[in-house]
Amino acid sequence: MSLSFIIYLVINTLVVLAIAPLFVSIIKKVKAWTQGRQGPSLFQTYFNLAKLVKKETIYSAHSSWIMRITPLVSIAAILVAALFVPLVFVPEPVGGIGNIILLLYLLALAKFFMALAGLDAGSSFGGMGSSREMSISAIIEPTTIIVFAALAFVFKTLNVFTMFSASVASGTTSTPTLILLAISLFIILIVETSRIPVDNPETHLELTMIHEGMILEQSGPNLALMELSSAVKLTLLMALLINLIVPFGLSTTLTLGALVLAIVLFALKGTILAGIIGLFESSMAKMRFFRLPSLFAMAFFFSTLIIIIEVFA
Amino acid sequence: MIQETLFVIALLVFVAGILIPLATASRDQRIFRIVSHGCTVIGSAALGILALLVLLTGDGLSWTLYQPLPGCSLSVTIDRLAAFFLLLIAAVSACVALYTAEYVEHLEGGSRRNLLCACTNLFILAMALVVVSANTFAFLIFWELMAGCSFLLVMYDYAGPETRKAGIFYFVMTQLSTLFVLLGIVLLYGQTGSFAFTRTGVSLIATLAFIALLIGFSIKAGIIPFHKWLPYAHPASPTPISALMSGVMLKIAVYGLLRFLLDVFSPDLWWGILILILGIVSAVLGIIYALKEYDIKAMLAYSSIENTGIIFTGIGLYVIFASSGQPVIATISLLGALFHALNHAMFKSLLFLTAGSVVHATHTRDIEHMGGLVHRMPCTSALFFVGALAIAALPPLNGFASEILIFISFFSSVAVADPLFKVFLFLCLGLFALTSALSAACFVKAFGSIFLALPRSPESSRAQEVPFLMLLGPALLASACIVLGLFAAQLFLLVGLSVPIPDMFLVGLLLLAMAFLTFAVLYFTASREVRVTGTWGCGTPSLKPAMEYSGHGFSEPIEIIFSTVYRTEMKNERKFFDAKNCIFAEGTADIRLMKIFEEYLYLPVARFSYLAATKISRFQNGCLDTYLLYVFCAVIAIIVYLGWLA
Repeated sequence: MSLSFIIYLVINTLVVLAIAPLFVSIIKKVKAWTQGRQGPSLFQTYFNLAKLVKKETIYSAHSSWIMRITPLVSIAAILVAALFVPLVFVPEPVGGIGNIILLLYLLALAKFFMALAGLDAGSSFGGMGSSREMSISAIIEPTTIIVFAALAFVFKTLNVFTMFSASVASGTTSTPTLILLAISLFIILIVETSRIPVDNPETHLELTMIHEGMILEQSGPNLALMELSSAVKLTLLMALLINLIVPFGLSTTLTLGALVLAIVLFALKGTILAGIIGLFESSMAKMRFFRLPSLFAMAFFFSTLIIIIEVFA
Repeated sequence: MIQETLFVIALLVFVAGILIPLATASRDQRIFRIVSHGCTVIGSAALGILALLVLLTGDGLSWTLYQPLPGCSLSVTIDRLAAFFLLLIAAVSACVALYTAEYVEHLEGGSRRNLLCACTNLFILAMALVVVSANTFAFLIFWELMAGCSFLLVMYDYAGPETRKAGIFYFVMTQLSTLFVLLGIVLLYGQTGSFAFTRTGVSLIATLAFIALLIGFSIKAGIIPFHKWLPYAHPASPTPISALMSGVMLKIAVYGLLRFLLDVFSPDLWWGILILILGIVSAVLGIIYALKEYDIKAMLAYSSIENTGIIFTGIGLYVIFASSGQPVIATISLLGALFHALNHAMFKSLLFLTAGSVVHATHTRDIEHMGGLVHRMPCTSALFFVGALAIAALPPLNGFASEILIFISFFSSVAVADPLFKVFLFLCLGLFALTSALSAACFVKAFGSIFLALPRSPESSRAQEVPFLMLLGPALLASACIVLGLFAAQLFLLVGLSVPIPDMFLVGLLLLAMAFLTFAVLYFTASREVRVTGTWGCGTPSLKPAMEYSGHGFSEPIEIIFSTVYRTEMKNERKFFDAKNCIFAEGTADIRLMKIFEEYLYLPVARFSYLAATKISRFQNGCLDTYLLYVFCAVIAIIVYLGWLA
């Protein structure tokens, strides 16, 4: 493991931790604007996290070690997954870090623990959230894997690092496959980060909540970790989309100037994408749960289309 | 030389393990059973060391045990493939024996338990001998020995009506399997003129032999549509037997298929497609049925069907890539299939053993009557948890390490020439991904319902942790799951194979480092106040077990989404007093899960054979004159045949 890779580990983790709450705030702000409200400050998510960290932790008397370790496992798995998606600087891959299948399964690891924690306290809301989350994640899985396979197909590699290097080198943004890929990745992003029309991140109504239901029993610093990990997950999926489609500015050399430029550009591009997500969310209503499979089927055929185009091209 | 010595030691120790409890079958004393299990552990250790030696050095072993006739002998050859499966058998058997040494004492049946020990040893020995058979003749003999032993073991609790049904079902299926294997071997003998594992060319006979062998091995491996015996036989048999059958015996069928594919046949592309389709269908349907199951052992049985499906998928990909001239990807697929066989043996026997502990503690197999066991059986729950993580293919455990190999070979299907075929492979990839996501959902449900939240029955709230030995066996298997996962890349390098698998140890270290850093940061910055209080029950004074999410509730969304697969049949019959159907008199409503395979495949075949048997049995009228007539006709026929032939 070279020095530049270790520097990469530090930079990537710090950047993702610093920027993730901002993107969440931006989405909230855009949604507030479309509803004619002023909306919270752009730093509100940071304030919330700081406040939660200072609060006491409350555990249910029925809960077990699952409840206690889940926040740690969840944030660890998602931070490691974030290492698989270079935000601002792409080093040479080391020991299979950056493998796109492993990335997917690290996210699944966090989800597995979260779902168990939802069942742990014995509350029916938690169970409802876990059950719905696992069902959704199961039926979106074929689409996700086909999109990832299409990525591997287009870039002739399984490694996200190599894909990013290739897209920086070519710099093209307009091939039809990439646009189709962007649409599919956007759908996956919406589903995986529990956004409208799949789930509503704002609500605590038992009929609609999925992700929020699972973390209902978390409190204090643990809740802060859960919130932070879902923000990081959002950021890493956004980064995957951004750095594949509009890679310009992504640094492949480790110089201070290039890094600063890359960070600024990434923040800009992320802000725009977050704005798009906010508008997208504001433009539609949450779907009924059992209408979701047809949405996913659409996404599946979309991603299969990419493969077919690539195969016959 | 040392290989021969180890093999003889293992053989003798296993024979001792069979004979000692048999000789003392009249005396119900614990010491004999302990000696017998000790023999299993020692014999397995010897076999394990032998297998490791062969795997690492590549020096095999050939030996003839007994030669009744020239040309057919019971001989033994251990090459690396055999050694790999031998290692699998040895590792699982040793851990299961440790567990059984305690478990068997809690079984009913007095001195019949001695027979259980003897038969288990014979079963393990038979499986080991199948794997090391040097020719098809020995293979068939030991295969049948294995089948017979396993039938006796399933029938241990013979008085129960459920067991009897399961036993008969299993017996018919396993004999059917032997029949097809026999047919395949006879066809091959007709083709090559010897019982040796020699390569045959491409011919119609070879293809027919392959089909027969594939059906025979599929029945034994529980491939859909030949799977129905698994969910019957596993719940009925004692826990260690379920663990051995699911963990090891299914892999023996996989071994058989691989041995014939690698050494005998020259496979065609469509053979690979056939195996791939069988594998994918079993994987998807297996896990979908597992999600619907509430009997813990039946659920694990269905999940075994899924995992054998995954192994078959790997084998199918191997054949496909090998016959389209892609040896590198073919090797990756084959290694994925083999590695998954080993991993499944580890985590499935771990899950069966811990599930057996849970059943032992709660006296029920229904997961809806469990719950809250994490507080009462902390060690068992932790061990089951490792198994659940591994089977849900989560990094950095071993289930993921093998599934990623199959994923990689799927992703490499770009290399195949035919475009339509490429699309087909990508669709299979989608289904394959669905399988592993559904298995995560299935094991969240299993772990959640069994161990978390509040106990849902009085038995569950009185459950106690099991004794030490019943934890030791599973603990060894759990550590094997962790080691095989973390050091997968290094282990492949150790046996001299280079595979493009990510370094899981590095990932594990990173995970640990991240968790530790987060913990350290929170330790210094966050509030350390902790309060323990009741779960919010929406204003009711206390949370009742009936208010929790049950296993049924958990899988309901998936059941609705896949309702076309489950095929529930709803009957609604109503009678009314008046002509206009207004005043309701009586009626029945019935929602039933249709057993599609049983109703549309098994029963018609069974009815047809019964009908055919009734017709044929008319020849058997018990009258001596008729039999003399048959003999006379037969003699005439032979004379005519010989006359024409000459």
